[in-house]
Amino acid sequence: MIRPLTLVCLVAIGTLTLGATAAADAEAEVFLSATPREVRAGQTFSLEVRANIKGGGLEDLTFADLKKYPELSVISHQTSRPMQVSFGFGSGMKVQSSLSHQYLMRALRPGTFEFSPAVATVNGKTYRSNPLTIVVVASDAAATAGPSSPAPPPEVGEELSGARYDPRAFLRTVVEQESVYVGQQVDVTVYLYTHVGVAGRSVNPTKPAMDGFWVYEEQITALEGSLITINGTQYRAYVLQKAAAFPQRTGELTIGAPKVAFDIGTMSLFDAPEHIERTGVPVTIDVKPLPKPGPVDAFVGKYSVRARLDRQNVKTGNAVTLRVDATGVGNIQDLRIALPPIAGVRTLQPVVKDQQRFYGKALGGTRSWEWILIAETPGEHTVPAIELDYFDPDSQQYGSASTQALKFSSTGIAAPAQPTVSPKEVPASREAAVFGPIRMYSALTRGATPVRERNWFPWLLAVPPLLFILLTIGVSLARRRERRKTSAGAVQRTLIDEARAALRGNDPRTFYDRVVASITHALDTRTTEPVRGLSNVELRTRLVAAGFDDDLVQRVINELEGADFARFAASGVNTEEMERCLQRTETIVERIHRVKGRA
Amino acid sequence: MRILWAVLVTLLAAGVVSAQQPEPRGHVSKLGDIFAAANVAASRGDHATAIARHQELIAAGVHDPDVYFNLGTSLAQSGDYPRAILNYERALTLRPSDSKASANLRSAERALEETRAEAEGEASIQRSSSISDALYRRFTENGLAFTLLVANFLFFAALAWAWVRRSRGRGLYALLAGSAVLLLFSALGMAIKTGLLREGPRAVVLEDRVALREGPDPRARVRGEARGGDRGELVDWDRDFVKIRVIGGLEGWAPTTALGRIDSDDATH
Repeated sequence: MIRPLTLVCLVAIGTLTLGATAAADAEAEVFLSATPREVRAGQTFSLEVRANIKGGGLEDLTFADLKKYPELSVISHQTSRPMQVSFGFGSGMKVQSSLSHQYLMRALRPGTFEFSPAVATVNGKTYRSNPLTIVVVASDAAATAGPSSPAPPPEVGEELSGARYDPRAFLRTVVEQESVYVGQQVDVTVYLYTHVGVAGRSVNPTKPAMDGFWVYEEQITALEGSLITINGTQYRAYVLQKAAAFPQRTGELTIGAPKVAFDIGTMSLFDAPEHIERTGVPVTIDVKPLPKPGPVDAFVGKYSVRARLDRQNVKTGNAVTLRVDATGVGNIQDLRIALPPIAGVRTLQPVVKDQQRFYGKALGGTRSWEWILIAETPGEHTVPAIELDYFDPDSQQYGSASTQALKFSSTGIAAPAQPTVSPKEVPASREAAVFGPIRMYSALTRGATPVRERNWFPWLLAVPPLLFILLTIGVSLARRRERRKTSAGAVQRTLIDEARAALRGNDPRTFYDRVVASITHALDTRTTEPVRGLSNVELRTRLVAAGFDDDLVQRVINELEGADFARFAASGVNTEEMERCLQRTETIVERIHRVKGRA
Repeated sequence: MRILWAVLVTLLAAGVVSAQQPEPRGHVSKLGDIFAAANVAASRGDHATAIARHQELIAAGVHDPDVYFNLGTSLAQSGDYPRAILNYERALTLRPSDSKASANLRSAERALEETRAEAEGEASIQRSSSISDALYRRFTENGLAFTLLVANFLFFAALAWAWVRRSRGRGLYALLAGSAVLLLFSALGMAIKTGLLREGPRAVVLEDRVALREGPDPRARVRGEARGGDRGELVDWDRDFVKIRVIGGLEGWAPTTALGRIDSDDATH
């Protein structure tokens, strides 16, 4: 049983489907237009190929005549594909789309150029546009120049030396100094000037021949253009090559013509880019000899030299490394230094290293020589001062740089040569392959002094036990001092001192307290038992048993009783009485200590 | 007490830092060229050139385990096994943990024994097999020296701590015992590595059937003979002769050219 709502939905879907089917009958229109249709040579115009389609899919849109005329150059290409979808009862879903190719073109030569229609294919059907005619009339400038040779503009200024002008693109070689000394730096830069878009990755320059020069090239990693106006036309200038060239001989030297090939950039994925090739012009340099008089072996540039030895003391037979660095502006690869023979020292061939870099525009750097000097005899050896003469082209003056003389000494007798190890004429056994592989890297360490023979080793080894001994002595002394502080005699002395201090401070209560404490401490020490808290009878018995005579016992009891009394009636005590009490107490304590115990 | 600790730590750190300061390296490039030339020759099978280049490096003061390793390999591949053994031993003295040098040393010994056995029916090489050597084989002398310093410091620090604090904790006892064992181990290792327990520097017999004589003279009576690759200790010197005690116990005088010292001057007492 179909419900009414379901029925309504089915009807609606059926209606939409029928409407969509009806829309499958496509319609298409193709247009070909240009704005303006009449231009002057050298001017640009836009050309559009457009197809509007309703209810169908565009399969193809071709405009075969686009590159029919080389006199019309495509500068840029843009494509757009707008699409519109609409729904409506009765008419179903409507899809309306279009494809448009817009070309910006330049008319290079006058003439009448006829284009056949563009063709679009929609759902298998072919649609054609209208034909198009473009009229190009001669411009004033073009009228004076022949069409076959792209002539330079009428006013070619100084800034275009080293270039063959072309309105679309040309190469230019810029040489900053056209007259230099032999060995002096010449800055050479090759530019590409273009008035058309360059597909960056397509640029393929061919460097100019530079025979007679030593050339250091700066790496050009990316094409970076800058805008330059030449004769009222804006060009983008790219640096293709930048080099510091050093002439190696006198006379006229020629920097050859550079070449470049590149494609003109296009926005379309479908159109093949236009390929362009250009050749520059050669440039001549006048190379002068160095002025005379001057040192014969002078190098062009400005340098300083520095020498150092890696060690000053070696065993005889061991090696020292001498390093000489020449740093400055100029072609450091020209530099040569000879090390004179050193008596008692064998010198191996040096290894030479260069580090070149630009100081502003000037190329320079450091050339380093490293000699291995092997001391063959003991004694002190001197490496003589090394001099380097140069000619500074900036100041046009000769100069000289020199190192200090260096000394090193070798000690000991030259080690006897190791037994000569000449490989025996034994054919390699079958197992020879199990050895190796040889190691391609080594730190090449020299015989370093073992740790145990370093000066600090025994000291570092001795420090912990020595510190331990010092610590033991120090701690022992401290503990002894502490023990002394806590001994019976020390306590006794402290109590008497405190009583004396209380006497001086006229503090009877504290005074008699210390007197009682002093006598009690002496009795405790003597009898080895605490006596505090005993009654007089018990105290007497205890003291007699400990060997105290009756007189001393009586004095002790009297003094303790008197002190106890005075402690609690301190206001009636005068200083003289306290002094006498202290004397009596000292006497009693001394007598207590002298008592001989009973066996 | 804190000051004391600070002083100790500073001293130890200063020692370690100065011990680790590299040697001047300005010479490396030139020597590096020679090393590279040696390796190029070795890779082309030109062992004579490779050996000469490596010896040039050693003559220039290079005392490097990789150079000795490569020299040993070139010698072994040219069939000179005793000298290969000598250079592998030198490489292992400088870098005891070099497993490839150990393997190549064993290969060289085996190859020498097999070559000799083919001619004589039976062969063996006199080589050291003491427990102490085996125990300390993988330790470098410098490594043991640093261990000695650290163990020394730990031991006395623990002792001082126990003395000052009157501490009797188990941890302290363990630290004392551990550091004492480490101290003894490293001290014994140092003694072995530096040759204190040997009678002289170690050597390898380079020629086969070297006559061991009763005196440093070619006319002296022959006591016996040492075979190429045999190890021994050099116990005495006299002009062009050296007295060697080979591992088997035989002792006698032989020309210095027939023997190669494993230990450098610095490593012998």
